[in-house]
Amino acid sequence: MKDLNEDFYRHISSEFNEELEALRRSTLEMGGLVEEQLASALKFFASQDSSLLSDIESIEQQINAAEIDLDDQVESLIVRRQPIASDLRLVLAVSKIVRDLERIGDELEKVGRLSLESLDSADGVGITEIQRIAEQVAKMLSESLTAFARLDLDLARDIFERERKVDKVYQSALRSLATFMIEDPRNIGSVLNIVWIARSLERVGDHATNIAEYVIYLVQGVDVRHPSVNENSFK
Amino acid sequence: MQLAESSRMVQTISTLEARVIPDNTLGQIHADNPRMKARNVDVFYADKHAIDNISLDIASGQVISFIGPSGCGKSTFLRCLNRMNDTIDSCRVSGEIMIDDQNIYDSSIDVVLLRARVGMVFQKPNPFPKSIFDNVAYGPRIHGLATSKVELDQIVETSLQRAGLWEEVKDRLDQAGTGLSGGQQQRLCIARAIAVSPEVILMDEPCSALDPIATAKIEELISELREQYTIVIVTHSMQQAARVSDRTAYFHLGKLIEVGDTKQVFTNPLHALTQDYITGRFG
Amino acid sequence: MSDRISFGLSPERAAERVAESISVRKRKENRFLFVGKFAVAVALGFLVLLFAGILSKGIPGLFQHYVTLDVQLDASRLDPSGQGTLESVADGDFDGVVRDALYEVLGDPTGRKAKRQVRKLISSGSGQRLMHYVLDNPDQMGSTVALQFAVDDDVDIFLRGLISRDIPEADRRVSDQMVSYIDLLEDKGRISYEISDYLFFGSASRDAEMAGIRGALVGSILTLLVCIGIAFPLGVATAVYLEEMAPKNRFTEIIEININNLAAVPSVVFGIMGLAIFIVIFGMPRSIPLVGGIVLALMTLPTIIISSRASIRAVPPSIRDAALGVGASKMQTITHHVLPLAMPGMLTGTIIGMAQALGETAPLLMIGMVAFIVDVPSGVTDPGTVLPVQIFMWADFAERMFIQKTSAAIIVLLAFLISMNAAAILLRKKLERRW
Repeated sequence: MKDLNEDFYRHISSEFNEELEALRRSTLEMGGLVEEQLASALKFFASQDSSLLSDIESIEQQINAAEIDLDDQVESLIVRRQPIASDLRLVLAVSKIVRDLERIGDELEKVGRLSLESLDSADGVGITEIQRIAEQVAKMLSESLTAFARLDLDLARDIFERERKVDKVYQSALRSLATFMIEDPRNIGSVLNIVWIARSLERVGDHATNIAEYVIYLVQGVDVRHPSVNENSFK
Repeated sequence: MQLAESSRMVQTISTLEARVIPDNTLGQIHADNPRMKARNVDVFYADKHAIDNISLDIASGQVISFIGPSGCGKSTFLRCLNRMNDTIDSCRVSGEIMIDDQNIYDSSIDVVLLRARVGMVFQKPNPFPKSIFDNVAYGPRIHGLATSKVELDQIVETSLQRAGLWEEVKDRLDQAGTGLSGGQQQRLCIARAIAVSPEVILMDEPCSALDPIATAKIEELISELREQYTIVIVTHSMQQAARVSDRTAYFHLGKLIEVGDTKQVFTNPLHALTQDYITGRFG
Repeated sequence: MSDRISFGLSPERAAERVAESISVRKRKENRFLFVGKFAVAVALGFLVLLFAGILSKGIPGLFQHYVTLDVQLDASRLDPSGQGTLESVADGDFDGVVRDALYEVLGDPTGRKAKRQVRKLISSGSGQRLMHYVLDNPDQMGSTVALQFAVDDDVDIFLRGLISRDIPEADRRVSDQMVSYIDLLEDKGRISYEISDYLFFGSASRDAEMAGIRGALVGSILTLLVCIGIAFPLGVATAVYLEEMAPKNRFTEIIEININNLAAVPSVVFGIMGLAIFIVIFGMPRSIPLVGGIVLALMTLPTIIISSRASIRAVPPSIRDAALGVGASKMQTITHHVLPLAMPGMLTGTIIGMAQALGETAPLLMIGMVAFIVDVPSGVTDPGTVLPVQIFMWADFAERMFIQKTSAAIIVLLAFLISMNAAAILLRKKLERRW
């Protein structure tokens, strides 16, 4: 993996090398912002500290600005450098990773809003489940970014494992929350918020899994999305 | 965001419908701090109207590329900038091309002096059949740029270094320039042009006779040279124009259709003809 | 795919037809090859014949028969005043001394008839030769030295076996008496067959044995020098002007046509022109290498201009562009780049033109170089002749030895021409450069 990393910077054109370097750096920086966003959102969910809201707000703006900047970098690279082979896969992968990161940002913003609303009611219902999901999802996000930085296939594959775990936890959380709603219909409003929060977090996990898939594409040139659709079905 | 996007699309569609050569050049003809300015330049080869009323600024310290289909006049216009068209008998040039606010076609201008300030690199590498040293030293010698052998040696070494050739030839300066490979010969020609300390370097499809690696090395060289020289490059490879230049000018049948920032021209050209050419929609 | 107009044969059918046509083509090509080879063989054959003829006649012409005599250098007879200068020996009796030496060897024949026969054995220039020897070797005065003298041309022809003894005496140029003397000399070992020093160091002479090409050779060289001196700079400068600097208009087109035509004008016309202009109008003396050189220069000028223009045109325009691009002026481009690269071609063309001029006879005849010049010209304004004219003149003379000497002179001329052409080829090879 390390070879591929170094290969990116061995073009005859030093400008091209610098541009690819900047692209990777910007992507990882955006990832860092998103991780920060996740941490803030979860803290807010747990503590209800309203000062965190403005943090979440500003990070959201930074994430959006990063998306625009990275899309611009991708466009520049395609126009000016006409990348092919591994360079092309890098640019395409980054383009997709950026979109998933931005969606993660959007989901986390939703989590923040929903957390604001579900302050009083609920009595700690579903908190444990949320926290279990959140823990896994935070790990998935961090690992996906590390896998991108190191072009680490094994790490990328680990994320698929975690996704299965998250799925199980999510399903069980839904079941228990559903039971709760049936038991006391007065709780439905607040419990529903918890359900939406859980769903957003699960979505974040999905996006992190996508990032892992793009890393595999970048390294091996293999498209591992939608395993039910294989190449033969097109012929 | 949505609104801005859709208004941009509207503009593009309306321009796309007009596949007519515009009377005025689209985009930014003018530049701050231009090194050379062309105003209303017309060129005739006997009866053929090769360049039709072109005005353009060449900005200092930048690379501008001229692109366009065969016969569009980009090479002709390039050769006007150092009056190489004077060597063709049937060629008539009207209009003004100015360097430091002086028209280079004025009768008081010494063409030899002009060509020392505006150098040229040609399509096919054409080193003199002399030694590598003499190739680079020829210009400084005839212009009297060096007062001693030591100075001449320094000029030659510096020029070869700037052209990225010094390491490869420093031990064989007395060998024939024609014995080098194609890419090395072209870098030798660049060194030869640099040796007279020009302000502007004109390049007429400098890489068209070279293999991809030699081409990449020369493109890298161009981006290094950009800091010290103003460079005008004619190229038939749009990818090269996209890689190498800061501004791009599109020529079509002797007219300058559009000129602007390279990234903008290649992502969102202002004129349909430009878009047709760069996307390969020409017949 | 099927809406293209389809034409022609299927690949298999086409292959069949090609195979059929191959044998026809091969036969045609073989015929052509054979004709070509035959032509070359015929040409070579004629060449061999030519050389064989010239060499067989000419090589004997390079040699002469000499008779060695012991000559008494009697100061009282040769140089009475003893000063050893040209004036003081003018009264010397050199012929007498030589004759006495000859009588002595032949056993002192008596009788006027016999003595006359003896005198006819030896070259009439022997006295001159003795005089030159005495002047060059004053320390030998008073001693007896063995010197070689040329035999008379009839005797030489006889000695070569070209006059048969069987012909009746009246029809022979060599009398029986002379024959017996010759045999006597031969028995005494006094006759030698050596490289003719007369041929190379002697000048024109009516006596075949004394005839030499020295004067003509020097005249040729002087004429050629004048010719090169005028034609080369003028030709090169004209070519440079026409190719590089003249505007391309009607006028220069006419000039070009005229130059090309001049190259085809018969050379004798140049001679007539030289006669009319330089000799009649300008009043220059006839038969001098200067006028000859000018006439030949005018004759070779078109050739030089045409070949020089071709060489200049062969210099690729990329070199010129490169020079101009660096800021060289037009003159600098021409002198630093175009001329050095065109020079091999120009020199080759010039040398070939000179080789042509060397062999020219007709124009030089017109300006009077047919005069019988004995002295070797020492400058371009001294009367002289050239080698081809000398050959032409000798071919006229009746004596048989002239035939041999003419062929020998032809060999010298050919050697000169071949070496000039070889020089042209070597020069071209050495200076050929790749750009």
